[in-house]
Amino acid sequence: MAQASHAAGAPHSTTGIDSRKVLMWIFLASECLFFGSLIATYLVFKNDIPLPPAGFLEDHTKDGVVTGWFPTDRVIDGVKYKGVLSIPITSASTFVLLMSSVAMVLAVYGAQNGRPKMMKIWLLGTMLLGLIFLGFQVFEFHEFGAYGLNLATNQFGASFFVLTGFHGAHVTVGVLMLGSMLLASMRRTGLGPEAGFHVETIGLYWHFVDIVWIVIFTVVYLIPA
Amino acid sequence: MSAGGGHATGSHERQHPTVRQYILIGILLTVITIVELAASYTPGLGVLLIPILVVLSAIKFAIVVAYFMHLRFEDALLTRLFVFGFVLAGAILIAMLALFWGDPAVINR
Repeated sequence: MAQASHAAGAPHSTTGIDSRKVLMWIFLASECLFFGSLIATYLVFKNDIPLPPAGFLEDHTKDGVVTGWFPTDRVIDGVKYKGVLSIPITSASTFVLLMSSVAMVLAVYGAQNGRPKMMKIWLLGTMLLGLIFLGFQVFEFHEFGAYGLNLATNQFGASFFVLTGFHGAHVTVGVLMLGSMLLASMRRTGLGPEAGFHVETIGLYWHFVDIVWIVIFTVVYLIPA
Repeated sequence: MSAGGGHATGSHERQHPTVRQYILIGILLTVITIVELAASYTPGLGVLLIPILVVLSAIKFAIVVAYFMHLRFEDALLTRLFVFGFVLAGAILIAMLALFWGDPAVINR
């Protein structure tokens, strides 16, 4: 096959594609099912939020407004509910994650074109942007907790935290992989002859995390209830 | 690191984008995100809002997969593998929504 993306010395396969790359794409396809199920669960529960019990209303009403129950602002039976989702903050974190994907692709470019310094700089950049994204997520979770919303509050809280929490866990794994790749590249021998392949593989994972967030941002934050 | 990193990984039929093109793609993704945001804050879009957001999100998704993940330049087998998983995920989503949104216990709440 003309397009054999073989790394030097990589195991050959009948498809002509490096088996490790095929494996990575199969993994990403399976991750689509994982996140697809979580997003579907969120969409179902987002429209199935019962009114809060009296105890919650007593604890989380301030100046006549109830917080920490619904994702968006609404008025039900004369009671005002303030939504917990903050689009401006999440837009900033979305921008950070998009830019991390640009940084990642530049790191892959550096690795595949014999430019180790460029690769290291952009690997570091990607990692830092990933950490900033995680910082935004920690801030958001902390804010929601202060409003009174947690995993056990209602169906919205449960499905929201599971979905975005698993995404955050994926970003964390990505940051750890980027860090280990960066450390390995600092060795005297660098990443070896397969540097381009290794960085590209981690890049696939990182971009996947980005495309999942593209969907989450639209479904959870931008599309109204 | 070895100087030969990447194109040790083999030849491709089509040339990958250049650094400048990657940066332009990044700018395009940012612009689409800003348009999404503007749409979500624009009153009066009514029933058009959700289709607009879904289409813009799908465009961003496709750009990242095609250019950043290089699927446009890879063997068609990898595209088929990924699309298979993606379509299955979409089917799960539709099945779940159809199952629960038809449930009167949910609708009447």
